Amino acid sequence: MKKMISLVLSVAMVLMSVMVLTNCGPKESDEKLKVAVVLAGATGDRSFYDSANEGLQQLIKRGDVQGSLIECQNDASMFTTNLISAAENNDVVVAVGWEFWEALAEYAPQLPDTKFIFVDNGLDGVGDNLLSITYAQNEGSFLVGYIAGKLSTTGKVGAIGGEDSETINDFIVGYEAGAKYANPNAVVQTRYAGTYEDPARGKELALALYDSGCDIVFQVASRTGEGVFEAAAERGLFAIGVDSDQKYINPDVIICSMVKEVGQSIVYPIAGLLDNGTWNGGHIWVADMSTGMVDVGYGDPYMTQQVDNALKAEVEQIKADIISGKIEVPTAFR
Amino acid sequence: MSSIQSVFSIGLFQNTLRTATPVVLAGLGVLMTDHVGIMNIGMDGMMLCGAFFAVLGSCFLGSWVGGLALALAIGLLLGAFFGLFVIEFKSDEYIIGVALNIFAGGLTVFLLRTIFGVAGAFSGTSALPIHPLPIINIPLIRDIPVLGSLLSGNTLLVYVSWLMVLLSYVLIYRTPLGFWMRAAGENPEALRAAGKSPDRMKYLASVLCGLFSGLAGAHLSLGYLTMFTENMSASRGFIAVACVIFGRSDPRKVFMAALLFGFIDAFGLRVQTYNISSNLTSLAPYMATVIMMVLGAWLKQRKQWRLAKLER
Repeated sequence: MKKMISLVLSVAMVLMSVMVLTNCGPKESDEKLKVAVVLAGATGDRSFYDSANEGLQQLIKRGDVQGSLIECQNDASMFTTNLISAAENNDVVVAVGWEFWEALAEYAPQLPDTKFIFVDNGLDGVGDNLLSITYAQNEGSFLVGYIAGKLSTTGKVGAIGGEDSETINDFIVGYEAGAKYANPNAVVQTRYAGTYEDPARGKELALALYDSGCDIVFQVASRTGEGVFEAAAERGLFAIGVDSDQKYINPDVIICSMVKEVGQSIVYPIAGLLDNGTWNGGHIWVADMSTGMVDVGYGDPYMTQQVDNALKAEVEQIKADIISGKIEVPTAFR
Repeated sequence: MSSIQSVFSIGLFQNTLRTATPVVLAGLGVLMTDHVGIMNIGMDGMMLCGAFFAVLGSCFLGSWVGGLALALAIGLLLGAFFGLFVIEFKSDEYIIGVALNIFAGGLTVFLLRTIFGVAGAFSGTSALPIHPLPIINIPLIRDIPVLGSLLSGNTLLVYVSWLMVLLSYVLIYRTPLGFWMRAAGENPEALRAAGKSPDRMKYLASVLCGLFSGLAGAHLSLGYLTMFTENMSASRGFIAVACVIFGRSDPRKVFMAALLFGFIDAFGLRVQTYNISSNLTSLAPYMATVIMMVLGAWLKQRKQWRLAKLER
């Protein structure tokens, strides 16, 4: 009997924690366009996934979209399941995260009535119902790299990546090129945390970089990066944010952020579908500098600004040069 | 600048100490339950709860004392909860451990979103700051070159962890209470025959384990870092279990094992300087864990062999 009680209670406990994480939205009228945003991770990274969620909220505010958010919590076993169930109940499914590559390649052709938007990775030739969006994060990172190169007094800057993967390296390659463009003698040191969830590890990596002479560190590591900001504050040195404009987290140490407008890039094709009925499926949309989807953010004007107006003007010029093709930013892809 | 020097700097040893401390505190908790024969693998989740409630207490009670108190209280509760299921309801301790880990992950995410209204991470706001644990500077020791920067200037719980290693050792191996605890794990019938209740010893160990999980969690979110992020325990509770197995539940050896783990981790972070793939270096602590486990099992086996030979 006692065993029975304990079994029931532990099952209840597990179910409770699962229910807490699952988002069950109420059903509304079917006049609206049903859009589901499926995240490989979860909201709360204060960058990539949160930006996607902002895009969804913006769409919901329009009034003609019924939106829902599904978080896979980095659980690989949920990717396919959540994607298919979202596709069965929605008109448009936005898959946020390169992790959906395999699931989309297999199931997008089998679900032709649903439109898919694949964020952060390119998938070509799968079908007209799939639009892939990739970002020229190397171009945005070039800008923050330039700022780091200009502002560093030691001539040494650092970068901390979540893992040693192509997408992360695309940031770092651009950052390094930018720093060297600003100061040909600049040294860029790169470290990888091997995890996106361990801020303590991010802090240790950043402290090691600061102690070896770096005075600015660019974090590309989601929640691991939170520890980088804390290390910067502890040493009285500087850091650069990623994906969202992260300056608000600590305006005294975060000099700027490389901004990837994930949310806006989701809004754009869906708004096009609603307003004009246009759908550009079947190809890869590279959201580069000219689209305004990658940029640099300095937070709100009332916050401490480490980047002065002269340097900001230089950055604007570099933006124009990248768009015109005068500066060619290297990439980690291909 | 010689690059060997850049790896073997004072920073490496400071990093070792910082990385080891949460594992030491968690390990002390796990070894208590191991001695009474109900090893708690739910430490990782309990730590995570401790970390969350430490931040909660620090914010709403207005000082680190409040944070520490709340972390200890929740640890006590979870420890008693673990004891209730395993001792009273005779559940399998591993199942309850796994359940605790999953439960803690869900609970902290849920509470973070409902109480603080943020998802993912909370690092304090100007209206609701997190009060971190104090940093202790020891007057004379501080001035010793090299060693001073290691022994002084750490957060409170680092010193508490050292004290606790000593106290745990004394408790387990030098007091009657510790003797009864070990007997509860190794030979409960004998303990019962001596007029002591094994279940009481198991409850005591569970509650102590809970208190240590509170300390470990508070150190993580108020000492090591000043923030709470989802899943911030990042498997440190499991590393602690490995250290306990390797150190055969002796607080001194568990402490050494945790330091070794911390050193390998810190070393792994630094050798990335030499363009060694980070995928390989981030493997280092886990590789060390596996090697430690195998070595621990082998040493135990060898001891049993020797005993068997003597008996023959």
